[in-house]
Amino acid sequence: MDSLFAQLVVLESSLALIFGLVLLWRRGVPAYVNAFTWQSIVLALVAATVAWFGRQRELYVVAALLVLLKVIAIPRLLARMERRFATERELAPYVNTATSLVVAGLLVLFGYAVMRPVVAASELPTRAAMPLAMGLVLVSLFVVVSRKKALTQVIGFLVLENGIALLALLGAYGIPLIVELGVFLDALMGFLVMQIFVYRIHETFETLDVDQLDRLRH
Amino acid sequence: MIFVFLLAPAVASALLALVVRPYRAAVGWANGALSLVAVGAALALWREVLGGRVPVAGPDDLLRADALSTLLAFCVSLVGALAAWLGPGLGDDSWDATQARRFRIFANLFVFTMLFAVTTDNVGFMWVAIEATTITSALLIPLHASKASVEASWKYILIGSVGIALAFAGTVLAYFDFSTLVGRETTALSWTLLREVAPALNPRVLELAFVFILIGYGTKAGVAPMHTWLPDAHSEAPSALSAMMSGVLLAVALYAIVRWQAVVGRAAVSPGFAENVIGLLGVLSLAIGALSLVAQRNYKRLLAYSSIEHTGLICVGLALGPLGVFASMLHLLNHSLAKSTTFLLAGRVLGRYKTAEIEGVTGLLRTMPWTGGFFAAGMLAVIGLPPFGLFVSEFALVRAGFAAGRPLTIALVLALLAVGFVGVLAHLNRMLYGPPPGGVPIGERGHWALVPLGACLAALIVLGLTVPAALDGLLVSIAGIVTP
Repeated sequence: MDSLFAQLVVLESSLALIFGLVLLWRRGVPAYVNAFTWQSIVLALVAATVAWFGRQRELYVVAALLVLLKVIAIPRLLARMERRFATERELAPYVNTATSLVVAGLLVLFGYAVMRPVVAASELPTRAAMPLAMGLVLVSLFVVVSRKKALTQVIGFLVLENGIALLALLGAYGIPLIVELGVFLDALMGFLVMQIFVYRIHETFETLDVDQLDRLRH
Repeated sequence: MIFVFLLAPAVASALLALVVRPYRAAVGWANGALSLVAVGAALALWREVLGGRVPVAGPDDLLRADALSTLLAFCVSLVGALAAWLGPGLGDDSWDATQARRFRIFANLFVFTMLFAVTTDNVGFMWVAIEATTITSALLIPLHASKASVEASWKYILIGSVGIALAFAGTVLAYFDFSTLVGRETTALSWTLLREVAPALNPRVLELAFVFILIGYGTKAGVAPMHTWLPDAHSEAPSALSAMMSGVLLAVALYAIVRWQAVVGRAAVSPGFAENVIGLLGVLSLAIGALSLVAQRNYKRLLAYSSIEHTGLICVGLALGPLGVFASMLHLLNHSLAKSTTFLLAGRVLGRYKTAEIEGVTGLLRTMPWTGGFFAAGMLAVIGLPPFGLFVSEFALVRAGFAAGRPLTIALVLALLAVGFVGVLAHLNRMLYGPPPGGVPIGERGHWALVPLGACLAALIVLGLTVPAALDGLLVSIAGIVTP
């Protein structure tokens, strides 16, 4: 039973990581939105898996909220922004695709290294997948700093949040539900405010290229 | 009950501003009056804590105010009151009704999230509240929509959100181990409980968690090298918001670090682990802040870099044992008072000269004798000159450094402070004297707004002459909480 559980979460976490890597090799926001949506579905599946095998009923609520917020609501808003800024493709990020993938590979290895003490200390059947979640966190951080378009940065940030949620699910079967609700509320508000600013940047700079945001230097 | 009086005024003011449209001055007055209620509540907490009690409230003792919470609650409510009285729509009339309404709504929510962050015992909710401070304040930075302010707020919200997400990852990592020890209750994120079981937590996991937490909250506290958003956001924000961000938001983020330091300090981590990382980043921030002061051409950015310098100084103090914690908490209070006052005065200067460039401001003492004089006093306080409070806290910090056997660190700190000192003094000199530029009207306006600012400067002088017994008691018990 436990080994099935362990294999399932490793499989699901690997999928989540791969959808995160899509942000590095594909160009164009629609592909990113798709990757994020699929990753959120996988994350909801992880929550449901942990809820079933780990007998944590409140995680079903978390899975349902994940579907509502990150599979339905946020991707819709993202798609709407994408249509509005259809011409704004991520054509030339600061770091090219090949280098990005190498860096991502190194980051995943680094994730394994830093998580060693945590994996060693844990007795949960889910522990084997924890380094993958840390890898996802690090890769998404890299996405945020290496991309030029405001919209891509927002998606990178959303993937970062997914990575941390995955880490919490695997490491401790989620955080207490009441705190989780606060985190969801923050995630939603934070996203909405970022969306306001993406529109504002477009209004004032007539581009989403954050390269153009260079007025404030010393 | 005290907690209601502390937290409800900000919520009530925000709701009032939301309901009454268009904005009327009465909303501002009500906001001002309510903000004083919160200050009163913070003082009541102070009395309780000095009496040896720790007020708690809410389900699972969600709200809890020990000495550390009380100091922060006092700073936040006081600076919140200053901003309420002197912000857009009451003391600062350079904004229209829509802008004033928006300021009143979000500034009060901002104050509420900060007060909640420092009075909740649950480190999960503390994180939620600090994340919410980013959201509420980012919306206010571009109150005047300009390219510069949109850029500043984008950097702020992106870097701030990413940083704070890392703090959450750290919280989650600390929770892993904890949940296996204590079980999966809501109280499992209670700081009191966390601190109690700290010696039993896995030291390696806790060290990793603390690094994430320090980077995460450090981003919001303006700790280098994650400080890059700070000068932009603090200089582009409306002055009343700059006063809150520089004066207390940084302090709230530092508070979160101190809370975790208190946990890690009791655990079986390598000796001096937390102190070493905090101290290292502190010296780095101090260096970047002080060296950047010299080259500034914009006086609001000058103040922002000075905040990075002081954040660094507070971090260095945290690494120097109980005496250092005492000094850095005293410094935190002094900095809150001095920096918020100076930012509000800078707002008055900006309102008159219509430029934030140091070059564009000359003859300040002639155009606005009171504002100019106060601004000069505030700047001298900020660079740590006697008779102001910051001199005393910096002196205490130096003594703590020698007591902790770190003379080299202290020598470096003093050298950097001297660099910052000279840098600011040269800029200040240029602003105060000389002929005022043509077209700038001469003479003071809105005298009453100078009364609270003068009171803050007076308080700083009092703190420079003596540390009152009530404050001393509070700081001693904070030092006891952080370094057992």
